[in-house]
Amino acid sequence: MLAIPVLLAGVVLTTALPGRTVKFAAAVGSQALAAGLVLWTVVPVLAGRPAVLDHTYAWSYPFEAIRIHVDALAAFFLAWSLPLTLLGTIYAHGYLARSFDEGRNPGPHFALLNLVALSFVIVYTVQNALVFLLGWETAAVSAWLLVIWDYRSQKIRFAGFNYLVSTHIGLFVLVAAFMLMHSRTQSMDFASFATVLGQPGELRDAVFVLLALAFALKAAFFPMHTWLPRAHAAAPAHVSALMSGVIHKAGLFGLLRFLLYLGRPDEWMGWAILVFGLLSALFGVLSTAAQRDLKRLLGYSSTENVGIAAVGFGLGCLGLTWQQPALVVAGFGGGVFHLFNHALFKCLLFYAAGAIYRATHSVDLERLGGLARSMPWTAALFLIGGLAIAGLPPLNGFWSEFLVIGGLAGGGAPSALGNVALAVAAALLGFVGATSALAVTRAFGMAFLGTPRDPKLRPADPPPSMRGVMVAQAVGVLAVGLVPTLGLALVQPVVAQFTAGVADAPTTASRLTDVQHGVWIAVAIGAATVGVGVALARRVRRHVTWGCGYTVATPRLQYTATSFSALFNRLFEVVLPSRQRGSLPKDVFPTKHGNLEIDHADPVEGRMFEVLAQNEEMAVKVSQRVPDRPRLSLGLGLVVLVALVVLALGGRA
Amino acid sequence: MITAAIIAAHVAALVAWPILLVGVINRVKARWAGRRGPPLWQLGFDLWRLLRKDVVRSTTSTAVFAIAPWIVLGSALAASLVVPLAGPAPLGFRFDFLLLIYLWGLGRLALMLGALDTGSPFEGMGASREATFGALLEPALVLVLIALAAATHGASLAEALTTRPDDPQAAPVWIAAIVALLVVIQVEGARMPVDDPTTHLELTMIHEVMILDHSGPDLAAVQAGAAVKLATACALVANLINPVPAAAGRLAVAGGLLAASVAVALVIGAVEATVARLRLRAVPQYILIAVVASLVAVLATRWRGLA
Repeated sequence: MLAIPVLLAGVVLTTALPGRTVKFAAAVGSQALAAGLVLWTVVPVLAGRPAVLDHTYAWSYPFEAIRIHVDALAAFFLAWSLPLTLLGTIYAHGYLARSFDEGRNPGPHFALLNLVALSFVIVYTVQNALVFLLGWETAAVSAWLLVIWDYRSQKIRFAGFNYLVSTHIGLFVLVAAFMLMHSRTQSMDFASFATVLGQPGELRDAVFVLLALAFALKAAFFPMHTWLPRAHAAAPAHVSALMSGVIHKAGLFGLLRFLLYLGRPDEWMGWAILVFGLLSALFGVLSTAAQRDLKRLLGYSSTENVGIAAVGFGLGCLGLTWQQPALVVAGFGGGVFHLFNHALFKCLLFYAAGAIYRATHSVDLERLGGLARSMPWTAALFLIGGLAIAGLPPLNGFWSEFLVIGGLAGGGAPSALGNVALAVAAALLGFVGATSALAVTRAFGMAFLGTPRDPKLRPADPPPSMRGVMVAQAVGVLAVGLVPTLGLALVQPVVAQFTAGVADAPTTASRLTDVQHGVWIAVAIGAATVGVGVALARRVRRHVTWGCGYTVATPRLQYTATSFSALFNRLFEVVLPSRQRGSLPKDVFPTKHGNLEIDHADPVEGRMFEVLAQNEEMAVKVSQRVPDRPRLSLGLGLVVLVALVVLALGGRA
Repeated sequence: MITAAIIAAHVAALVAWPILLVGVINRVKARWAGRRGPPLWQLGFDLWRLLRKDVVRSTTSTAVFAIAPWIVLGSALAASLVVPLAGPAPLGFRFDFLLLIYLWGLGRLALMLGALDTGSPFEGMGASREATFGALLEPALVLVLIALAAATHGASLAEALTTRPDDPQAAPVWIAAIVALLVVIQVEGARMPVDDPTTHLELTMIHEVMILDHSGPDLAAVQAGAAVKLATACALVANLINPVPAAAGRLAVAGGLLAASVAVALVIGAVEATVARLRLRAVPQYILIAVVASLVAVLATRWRGLA
């Protein structure tokens, strides 16, 4: 709890103290101290001891009693959120160094990062709806201000505004849900909300839908993801990393928090979460395969990964409904593990993308190429993150996907149709995995391999501070990948909360022991074959790439990112329409140069704007029909006023 | 003792069997065309020759290109551990089929990155096709293996492949699974009608175009990896059609399995000799056959009450 004043002091210090290094030191120092304090509270909880921190502060209306409580769920989220934010802050110092050189004041930026860390402490521990909303809003507004760091660009201001509006729509829905529950319980305490959520009925259904909507918007589920690719492309790399990997995990936290109160959810709730998760995963991964902006690509992959986690949550809910502890463990275990893994590898990938942007001022896959030679560190680290995000063994993404898909594959539904649906969901997640492998191959291959496409770029690896942050993230990815029990130590207490009522519930670790041995054997075999390969290739000669008889190949002849995924995207043209611009060469002997540009705009966003524009047109038309006479307008205004008053009086009676 | 024997048999099978199966397929194609064909062990001779050569690597390539072939080989070898090739599988646990699928995925990714590392437009084209078809095939592979596991209540892939429920109602599951897995062999093994392993025109290749720049031991590793993968995929089907029941003893089962593998290779060879390669645009439809067949298998298990 002491963490809050420490972080606040950090905020004050970063803005008040002079000098860049001092401000940076204040931010890092306060965050490190806060993270230490939080870990000191959190580790015993995760180790299974009763919570050290469970305190109720008496407060006046409208807050009433504010209970602060660290349960396993809060402990899990706090355990990695603050350290990862700290890493992001360290990265920021290197990443923004040039802007600081140009005279930008680093104080507010570091202060906002501190506020983000502060909002985690509030959102994850407080059990009072109003204070929760305060923390929620702190996170949203600080994230917005962080996104528009480069506010001079109109595009970036628009992206920021788009995010601000979207996140507040979510906030309204959330407030509506809280008000509904408050109207029943006359209390703002979450524990009292549990009485509403614990009883099946219309009220619970309505509240569930509202809560799920609000949290889904926060976590950028399809089709509420439209703000995300814009915001991620606009924000500085570390802000994208923190938003995608850490801040928006609060949406999933909210979902889990209230799922805990549901007790035994209705069957449709589990299916709803599962289907929405699956749709997000599918849409996210298809978009990932089509993007040419590396940061937009990574943004869409967040939609994909929260989708995978949500499929796990949905499965867990179904397990609760059907009273199948194995499904609960596989579903919630896999889902919670996946969001933790996602935080590790997604931050890493965004940091690597930031390193590219810093060196080349471009994240356009069509302009990059051959970076592995000039940026070997970034290339290796990006590859580690990419393999993890594709869910390949022996990296951390594999384990959580294994838990989720294994849970779906095992069946356990009471009806035949249910089992078939679960099997199909497993198969679709398999497709998601393979497509994300395609997207990773494409992103890594186009940016880092081959020859540079744009000779004007002069890329180089980032300074040690940024590199260190990436190495730290990669070490996490590798460690959890090779020894998944490390990650499961964090995940298991959360799963145990969901299986609390069951006497002999299996553990997540027990589901992975055999697989772990299998993967270790595979790693040993792989290491041995690579060793043999290195030993055999003693004498290596170099020669230009075989051009199949063509000898004047230029870098421009290489396959581009768009052409790499063209075959795949054409199959999914219905879901993801492409836009083509340019003119192809005509006739047998073309006299003019041709050019072709294909890109994929977000279909949901396009449709949304279309509908909005139509409505606006309609409103304009209607208003044009109203004759322009003041007396009539006044009369109409009076009618509306009377109607409103009648409605208000009727509502009270 | 028994474990040691199983592992020894598996390793022996991994060395000899892929080479022989490729030989059988090529022999069938040659005979069909009225030629005598190369010796059955030709791939073995080729690998031995390649292993003694120097390596030539592209000037644009990085370490990725050097390591990729060996990851291809290593992942194919590791993936084969959960499948009975000759005798029982050395490794088996619940949902081990996911490990097989993801290890194959790792091998495919390594191969594609190796191809992109050369900067050659042809190899990029091959990688693009491999990625697309691999992604489309994935649901079929997952579904069919779930169906088999559900129909047999087998905890591991090996059990699911070798258990025969007495229930005659299980027949539709088997037939659908065999159809789906035959397509899986053709796609994962880069065989006709999806890919033509003997074509001379780079523009029409998938697998072969990705390894244009590999040479010497690197090329040997890729070819051996592809052969191991083909043998593993053939063994999936061979286990399903193995006529010898488990009660007949381990040696008899292993013998039946080897015979069944040869039979699968004969079928693959016969298809290759008689069918032309599909147009690339038609390949997704062909893969759809596997997806539909696997869906049929899943539906059959559930509605027939096998699970």
